[in-house]
Amino acid sequence: MSRNKIEKLQNEQTTENNTLSGRDYKYGFVTEIETDRIPEGLNEDVVSLISEKKNEPSWMRDWRLKAYRHWQTMKEPHWPNFQYSPIDYNAISYYNAPKKTTGKPKTMDEVDPELIKTFDRLGIPLTEKKRLAGVAVDAVFDSVSVGTTHQSELAKLGIIFCPISEAIQKHPKLVQKYLGSVVPYGDNFFAALNSAVFSDGSFCYIPKGVHSPLELSTYFRINAAASGQFERTLIIAEDDSYVSYLEGCTAPTRDENQLHAAVVELIAMNDAEIKYSTVQNWYSGDREGKGGIYNFVTKRGKCEGVNSKISWTQVEAGAAITWKYPGCILKGDNSVGEFYSVALTNHRMAADTGTRMIHIGKNTRSTIISKGISSDESNNNYRGMVKIMPSAFRARNYSQCDSMLVGNKCSANTFPTIEVNNNSATVEHEASTSRINADQIFYLVSRGLDTEGAVSLIINGFCKDVFKELPMEFAVEAVKLLEMKLEGSVG
Amino acid sequence: MIRNIEHITKSLIDERMPQWFNTLRIQGLSRFIETGIPAVSDPNWKYTDLEALKKLAFDVSENGELNEWELLNQFRNHKDINIVLLNGAFSVKHSDLDNLEKGVLVSTLHEAVKNNAPHIQERLTKYPMTDTAAFIALNQALNGPGVYILVDEKVVSNRLIHIIHVTHPGRQNFASMPRTLIVMEPFSEAAIFESHVAFGDSRTYFSNALTDIFMNENATLHYCKSQKESLKAFHIGHTRVWQERDSSFDGFSFMAGGRLTRNNVDAVLNGEGANARLNAFYSVNNSQHVDNHTSIEHRVPNCASNQLYKGILNDSARAVFNGRILVRPEAQKTNSYQLNKNLLLGSGCRVDTKPQLEIFADDVKCTHGATIGQLDEDEMFYLQTRGIGKNAASRMLAEGFLSDLLNTVKNAAVREKLNSLTRRSFEAS
Repeated sequence: MSRNKIEKLQNEQTTENNTLSGRDYKYGFVTEIETDRIPEGLNEDVVSLISEKKNEPSWMRDWRLKAYRHWQTMKEPHWPNFQYSPIDYNAISYYNAPKKTTGKPKTMDEVDPELIKTFDRLGIPLTEKKRLAGVAVDAVFDSVSVGTTHQSELAKLGIIFCPISEAIQKHPKLVQKYLGSVVPYGDNFFAALNSAVFSDGSFCYIPKGVHSPLELSTYFRINAAASGQFERTLIIAEDDSYVSYLEGCTAPTRDENQLHAAVVELIAMNDAEIKYSTVQNWYSGDREGKGGIYNFVTKRGKCEGVNSKISWTQVEAGAAITWKYPGCILKGDNSVGEFYSVALTNHRMAADTGTRMIHIGKNTRSTIISKGISSDESNNNYRGMVKIMPSAFRARNYSQCDSMLVGNKCSANTFPTIEVNNNSATVEHEASTSRINADQIFYLVSRGLDTEGAVSLIINGFCKDVFKELPMEFAVEAVKLLEMKLEGSVG
Repeated sequence: MIRNIEHITKSLIDERMPQWFNTLRIQGLSRFIETGIPAVSDPNWKYTDLEALKKLAFDVSENGELNEWELLNQFRNHKDINIVLLNGAFSVKHSDLDNLEKGVLVSTLHEAVKNNAPHIQERLTKYPMTDTAAFIALNQALNGPGVYILVDEKVVSNRLIHIIHVTHPGRQNFASMPRTLIVMEPFSEAAIFESHVAFGDSRTYFSNALTDIFMNENATLHYCKSQKESLKAFHIGHTRVWQERDSSFDGFSFMAGGRLTRNNVDAVLNGEGANARLNAFYSVNNSQHVDNHTSIEHRVPNCASNQLYKGILNDSARAVFNGRILVRPEAQKTNSYQLNKNLLLGSGCRVDTKPQLEIFADDVKCTHGATIGQLDEDEMFYLQTRGIGKNAASRMLAEGFLSDLLNTVKNAAVREKLNSLTRRSFEAS
């Protein structure tokens, strides 16, 4: 994605601000737009109202209500290694839709120009002329999807790529079969909340034997104040298929904290492969830790079939707090799970992220590469679990978690858990924590690089195992993002 | 779990003891009642279920005479200074304190308290009771006479001091509460071996040991805790090490026995330049359960800590490892290393390992690792092509797995003892 080029043109003004203040958040603007908004508060009526607004069938509403009732019996988890001010679930508006899109536009030309402009500014052109070749984008603005590109091209191959609300209408059987099959509504507190009030997200279905020629992608944007975003994504890859899916996200700069609780479910059948990449850049709060998004995400993939593969790649660079453990259930024999992560925290951000690999099938393999970088006064945690079930003969896991500390007020913690219940398993884990190497900086500076250039090069090298897993355009983006975030941290 | 715990604690209160010591018992009791026996919902006990221990009712009093004098000799070595405790009681006739070197003081802990040994109150109350773990509190409430060892300033003790806790109660369901306090004065050096042993596997008992070690500046201690209890016994042990400037703690734990074993080693590096080594080997068979917890707290700059925990699991044995390294913001230039390696030989065995790094300083080097695997197939094949039978080959490789660990033990006497103990455990399996 050539988001960078477009940014250059469009954000001349913001760029100026950036150089002045060091490292401002480029995507912090607010779009003034009329919205259809449910007032703050959460009860059964609100859940039904969301369902009604989306014109959902009754089974969907019942499922939401069941989830809501279950959520009420649950307690907010406080085991992550960070503190945050309590969330008032009744002070959040659970549905915000730009008014003009209430009737779903048929083509991109019908989409509110204000929204097109917003996404343009974010570097996501949606109109026919400008849209990115090679990447199909579903753009989600607050609670609804405002447009999906390349849909007809994909339809020719039988690929379904649409907002999940549309899938509920058009492909109810598929949704009913798979929704909640990997992350049941009772899975955890935030998954239950999401199941009750989820608004939009993407639905992908790759039929048997199809290799998606396009990268599928969703861009999530929070715009409205005092609101939350509860997206739900469901990706199903049938036998022998392949898909690469990308996700990006931003939000305006605000002094209040906003809640983002998403659920992503992936299902890979025999010989299928799903590659899921995220570049997360929610607004992370200011230097004093004021404002920012609370990011509570449940992501899980299920390797249902034999020889299937699910790969998670994430670059977590935003959000005031991040609570996210994309995992894989390796059920099919010979299935493969991968997790590549870069988590960068600065200012007063806190990230508690990692993965879970559950080995059930024989000869299942998993790889975990996690790189944490903490700077300023931030707190960065890796928390992971590798579980080898008694049935997982000859399972293999390799994990590597490295943390780098930039600055002397930050902290980095590692909490891996390994449970092995089969003696034919081989599990290796290694982790290290160290400061950015002064000798390396000195060497680079002596070769004429400035300190920031040197730091950026070192960080790049530190993260290269993860970046090389990202699609090329995303990798470039990720590098820029880290550079921007780390500006001024060293020196 | 302990019968009439309140009544017993009260009966242990001795008017001849200083008031603060009696208060410690009461505080321990109330803390234990407050915490209760930890359940698996407690993250520190997630993989070790104490339900079986909870169900049994133990008695603390035991005055059975030990007649199997010969059996005791298998643990004693005349080169060493042996300190024998039978069912928690100090046995003068079995110990040889006459040979103590000058400057090494050994007595029961209760005697030391009664005689008001220097700083004893300060040391025994060093750790606040408010956040004490359940079983430490239980030991505080019910501990027996215990052992007190003080190595005086600039004294180098050349002979190995061997504390032998023999538990062989006359009746079942006995609870023993061994308590040890070791004080290393500045510039002193010693080697201390603490064994927890039993005669055979017939008795059901519960041994809840607590050892406190204080290392003053420049002190060096070679310490080993070895444990081979009855296969029906429960062993829960805590070793707390407090280290001042430039002190060096070279510690080893060997765990081979018991139905359920939990071993906690906590070190606080409180003086610059201190270094701690906590190594361990565990070897478990059948349905034995062994749980190792370590916690190292780096409070000041320029300290180093090393942990190497290795285990061999046979049959359907279970092992748990949880190692925590905490580096406080002031503790710059910390070097900390931790590795847990498990060799799974049995078909039903299970390992749960959970290393934890919590780092709040930036100029540090901390690494940890964990591996779980089997004997290398190629190595097995190689040995077999050289005409070595399968069993012998696997034993050879298992011994190789262990040997680099034993080589880290610096003190020759400690290493020799460990060598013979591990050899015995290989023969048994």
